[in-house]
Amino acid sequence: MTDPQNTAAPAATVYHDQPSANPIKVETRSVSVRYGDTQALHDVSIRIPDRGVTAFIGPSGCGKSTFLRCINRMNDTIDSARVSGSVLIDGEEVNSRAVDPVVLRARVGMVFQKPNPFPKSIYDNVAYGPRIHGLATKREDLDAIVEASLRKAGLWAEVEGRLGMPGTALSGGQQQRLVIARAIAVNPEVILMDEPCSALDPIATARIEELIDELRENYCLIIVTHSMAQAARVSQMTAFFHLGHLVEYGPTEDMFTNPHDARTQDYITGRFG
Amino acid sequence: MTDRAPSSDIRKAIETRLARRHRAERRFQFYGMAAIALAVLFLVVLLSSIIVQALPAFTQHTLTLPVRVEAELADPQDDRSEESLRAGSYSRMLQVALQDQFPSVTGRSELRALFGLYSSVNSAKLLNQVVENPDIIGETIEFSMPISDDADLYLKGLTTDERFVDRNEPLTLSGAEGEVTLTASDPVFSAFIEEVNDTLRARIQTVSDRAATAQARADRAETEDARQAAAAGAERARREADQLEERLQAREALSLSPEMASLLVRLGGGVVQITQLEPGGRVARGEVVIAPERDGVYQDWTEWRIETPAAGRRIGDVQIVFARALDDRGLVENGLNLILFTNADSREPELAGVRGALIGSVLTMIITMLMAVPIGVGTAIYLEEFAPRNRLSEIIEVNINNLAAVPSIVFGLLGLAVFINTFGMPRSAPLVGGFVLALMTLPTVIISSRAALKAVPPSIREAALGVGASRMQAVFGHVLPMAMPGILTGSIIGLAQALGETAPLLMIGMVAFIADPPTMGVAGFTEPATVMPVQIFLWSSGAERAFEAKTAAAILILLALMVLFNAAAIYLRSRFERRW
Amino acid sequence: MQISLFTVLILMVLTAVGFLVGRRRAYAVSSGHASRLHSLPSYYGYYIALWTGVPAFILLAIYGMFGNDAVNALAGAQMHRAGEPVHAQFEQALSDDEDIARLEAELATLENRRIYAREAIERDSELVPAAGEYPAQSPAERQQALSSEINRLAAEREARAEVLAGQVEAQTDDALARAGFVYSRLSDERRELMINDARAIAFGEGVASRETPEINALASAMRPFHEVLRSSMALAALALAIGGLAYARSRISSSFRARNRVEGAISVLLLLASVIAIATTIGIVLSLLFESVRFFSAINWRIDEFLLGTQWSPQIAIREGQVGQTGAFGAVPLFAGTALITVIAMLVAVPVGLFAAIYLSEYASTGVRGWAKPVLEILAGIPTVVYGFFALLTVGPLLRDALLLLGYENAVTQSALAAGLVMGVMIIPFVSSLADDVINAVPQSLRDGAYAMGATKSETVRQVIFPAALPGIVGAVLLAVSRAVGETMIVVMAAGQGANLTANPLESVTTITVQIVMLLTGDQEFDSPKTLSAFALGLVLFVLTLILNVIALRVVQRYREKYD
Ligand SMILES: Nc1ncnc2c1ncn2[C@@H]1O[C@H](COP(=O)(O)OP(=O)(O)O)[C@@H](O)[C@H]1O
Ligand SMILES: [Mg+2]
Repeated sequence: MTDPQNTAAPAATVYHDQPSANPIKVETRSVSVRYGDTQALHDVSIRIPDRGVTAFIGPSGCGKSTFLRCINRMNDTIDSARVSGSVLIDGEEVNSRAVDPVVLRARVGMVFQKPNPFPKSIYDNVAYGPRIHGLATKREDLDAIVEASLRKAGLWAEVEGRLGMPGTALSGGQQQRLVIARAIAVNPEVILMDEPCSALDPIATARIEELIDELRENYCLIIVTHSMAQAARVSQMTAFFHLGHLVEYGPTEDMFTNPHDARTQDYITGRFG
Repeated sequence: MTDRAPSSDIRKAIETRLARRHRAERRFQFYGMAAIALAVLFLVVLLSSIIVQALPAFTQHTLTLPVRVEAELADPQDDRSEESLRAGSYSRMLQVALQDQFPSVTGRSELRALFGLYSSVNSAKLLNQVVENPDIIGETIEFSMPISDDADLYLKGLTTDERFVDRNEPLTLSGAEGEVTLTASDPVFSAFIEEVNDTLRARIQTVSDRAATAQARADRAETEDARQAAAAGAERARREADQLEERLQAREALSLSPEMASLLVRLGGGVVQITQLEPGGRVARGEVVIAPERDGVYQDWTEWRIETPAAGRRIGDVQIVFARALDDRGLVENGLNLILFTNADSREPELAGVRGALIGSVLTMIITMLMAVPIGVGTAIYLEEFAPRNRLSEIIEVNINNLAAVPSIVFGLLGLAVFINTFGMPRSAPLVGGFVLALMTLPTVIISSRAALKAVPPSIREAALGVGASRMQAVFGHVLPMAMPGILTGSIIGLAQALGETAPLLMIGMVAFIADPPTMGVAGFTEPATVMPVQIFLWSSGAERAFEAKTAAAILILLALMVLFNAAAIYLRSRFERRW
Repeated sequence: MQISLFTVLILMVLTAVGFLVGRRRAYAVSSGHASRLHSLPSYYGYYIALWTGVPAFILLAIYGMFGNDAVNALAGAQMHRAGEPVHAQFEQALSDDEDIARLEAELATLENRRIYAREAIERDSELVPAAGEYPAQSPAERQQALSSEINRLAAEREARAEVLAGQVEAQTDDALARAGFVYSRLSDERRELMINDARAIAFGEGVASRETPEINALASAMRPFHEVLRSSMALAALALAIGGLAYARSRISSSFRARNRVEGAISVLLLLASVIAIATTIGIVLSLLFESVRFFSAINWRIDEFLLGTQWSPQIAIREGQVGQTGAFGAVPLFAGTALITVIAMLVAVPVGLFAAIYLSEYASTGVRGWAKPVLEILAGIPTVVYGFFALLTVGPLLRDALLLLGYENAVTQSALAAGLVMGVMIIPFVSSLADDVINAVPQSLRDGAYAMGATKSETVRQVIFPAALPGIVGAVLLAVSRAVGETMIVVMAAGQGANLTANPLESVTTITVQIVMLLTGDQEFDSPKTLSAFALGLVLFVLTLILNVIALRVVQRYREKYD
């Protein structure tokens, strides 16, 4: 049903029907990003529902991370990056001058490909966000937040009683869960995950995937992955990126069984990537 | 598990702290900018203060006199032989020439001041002229020489404040030589008396202030000893103030002392130095320095006030008069100071130059370069390309890193103990200096050469080895040429460092006063020499004020040399840099 | 220069000839088919050139190093021999002289008494005065009195011996014999001087400080040895070169592995080059240790006094037998001065350097970085003597005037503060470039993590980057401290010379490096404890900076490994 020649000239994005009952949490309207002279992202428009997992897939270098970083304005930290278009969270413009990235990033947590715990104790890692943002005035409150976050991240049982240990001393999978705990300690509304399992072994990956599944009840999760299987396992919605374009977006099941675009089909069937 | 806290609460909590956090952020950024600004400010102040101090050293007043080369002075044996000419009394010749300019001057101290206007070393120059060209004997020649440093600074207006006031009240001069009296019907000198009294009053004020603070300290003192000491100080200061006050009030003649401003009167082509002023400012007594054409009444004359007290300058009133007179007669000219570049060191600031130190630096750098670069590059090649990973290589590596941080003065001690005392090499010689600096520079050269070698991609080596070259051929034929720009840059930077190094050279005796520049040749390597930075050190401790400017000028020359070195490094880097 | 340029030139030509011969030979043995050779023909050339040049040049180098000493020793031995008859006369005169005999007898008795007094001190007993001989004295007083008496008599004896020597000298007509006698009686240092003067006259090395018949005699004794040694060495070198050439040429055949030989020689050369770095360190350690040991033995091994004493006045001359001779070498004021100036310098350099590094790596735009980094590099490249001049003539007077204005009356131009401030500025670029490296080594992922949590830049720097970089920064600061401790010119010029033991930065203080310079500049005999103490100070400085460097390099390296 799609013309293979379309791979060369990108057509407009194909949107599947969205059956989701959840309200829209994040919406972008023709977001483009350039790094200096090279354009990394072309006119990406997407609506991402709350309380669910949305997966971004696509060959490496296609702009998934770049797009993800638009949502919490992490691209501000890169001198050469220029973002245009609008990003709305709960209908509120993120790129406006009135929005302080500090506040925005407290609402939108982020987890990176390589676990990056700070060179501090487990406790201080999790307490970092509440401390800088002043979310707890009393020690007990902070203790409670730390415990709750570690519990939610499924790490509590493993580190209970060893909270003074440096975060860097944990195993890779534990570190990644620690980082997730750190992100949810400030109670964000959206959590962005950039290939959170690519540096982990299969067992640790399975733990994280379980965790993602639990978290989706409360958060809007957006996860970049290059593993199709993972996207199929954890996500409800999937977006396929190619060469800086959002090629196709829709419910995960639809996308995998019935891709409209030839490029999506080629990618899913493993013809490139 | 739907325990999501209402996000608006969290947002509110965050936003209440936001302003404070952003203030902290701005403060932090300000500290960073302040640090950079401080560094920049410091560099600017450093360079500009040195430039300002150096400027006077780049010009020089030259005294040009008609000198009659008298046969009996120049050629005592009257046979025109070189031996006879060398025995001539040329300094007398210069004295005669200078005295001819001021025929009226006969007093011993005046003559001493007059002859102090040039350094007697200059007579050697005259001697050489005569020996080279004996035909000028009996002729009158124009002979130029730098004027003494104090006169030079005076004429540049750097050490002495003075004022000339043209007057036209009639003034009667009692005689044309020796002690004279100047009388006027108007109080022509009262302005000057008032000025002297003003400074006296200011002095009284400071002394009384001092008495007051000392008294206050005495009142506050905690121990009896301290109280007594402070009280004694207060008493002393009070007494001094009283004495000064008495002098101010006294209605007797004002004797001018070296602590006060000086007053001179110019009239009829002569100059009278005032020594005493009668109250009322109508009568002044003084001494003739340069004889006026006649005595009697003068309608037009000039009051010449030297505001800087004689005690506060190195040049006396009489010498000032002569220097000014020679200048007015057009015999003194201010021009570019070539002596700075053509002469070696000298005890006389006006004759001191950097030529010797420059040659010394060049010779020393040649040795340093010949030693440090081949050895350093060889070491780098060995460690980077051939060294097996064993204990020895490890020790060499650690050792080089530590050597890089050994204080330079320790290398000087090494040079003194090993090269001079054990091997018996000559002291103060560029050879030893070069050795010491080479050892000091070695780590820099090694480290930068290794970095350059490391930056050559392994594919180059593999390609060379792949076509059957030996390791040695691969390294010398392919890797080394590609690493050359980096190696050159690192070596030049190391050499520039060595060029500015002082401390180790002090240890091996390159700090001596050396009036003859070393030979520009093989023999020069073992002759006593000094180098630019050491010359700067030596001059900076020179007592004469003129050495201050000389030092700053030498610094500028050294910095220019270093800029040249670094420019060469940058040029080489850009010229030979290859991309791969 | 005792090796004539001519010999060197001939050797170079021979080496070049060796190269050509080798190449020709290689073509010859391969009968024109170079590809049959094991190595390229030029390798055969290099091989022969090596054999021609290297042994001969090594011989010349050895001669260059020891030739002078050999000539001096030979001429000295000859002088000794020539002076022997006169010396015998002198001995005779000594033993015949009544004064000498009397003095020696007296010296012997006094020496005995002194030994007795010393034993009494050691036994801690009183002296029993012989009848009416001396009043009651404590053994220590007694020993001291005896020592000075002995010194006096010994000096008298010396003087008398001098007179006799003069008489003997005057009776001798033979200039050479007289010179030999004079030469053999000289002390080591004076002999050194005489040799230098004689060399100056004989070979024009420098300028002779004096010229006497004795020196001339020594000079003419040196000349033949010098000539013979020089020409025989030149001949030997040429013979070696030709022999090497012939030997190497005889070894060449088409299967000869010339390349391996040449490359082996080159790798030995490279290894030797890298051993020089070690040799330098060993040289530093040995020379400092050796001279320090001599110094410590001169102060009777009172190392504790040296390290803990508070009185530094090495200008006091020290004579044999002088009481309390160790008192003047207490180095604590120097250590304190060094520490004071280092602290001041660090107070300037560490905050400014760190903030500059943080600003440049985290905040500055590329434009600012483009000019701010070169500015710091220029500051780093300015010679320390220039900083010293600036401290002496600008900062020092400025500080003094400011302090006088503020009512501090004892303000001086040369103060610890002036030197410390300027030194701090000198070290700013050092700290900032090291810290810059360290901060840039902190992985970007940590920064991203902090920003993603909503931290501001300064929070990221203070709470994440700084703790992560701390070990590296500590290493950088240690290196900077070592730099400050070893810095010489600024303190020599701007800190003054008074060995004050003070914590007041407004006074002038002295440092280890300043004292080393003071002790070793100017003319002085090399063997006095005063001069030797400079090496002991050098040893302290070396050990101190070495410890700092080793720790710092360790810390930094560990840190680098952590984030690699
Ligand atoms: N900081 C940057 N500067 C310049 N180009 C960048 C930067 N980050 C990413 N890019 C470029 O943008 C494109 C998209 O990158 P990215 O978003 O990281 O891809 P993905 O995450 O899908 O693998 C790539 O071509 C990459 O080279
Ligand atoms: Mg990515």
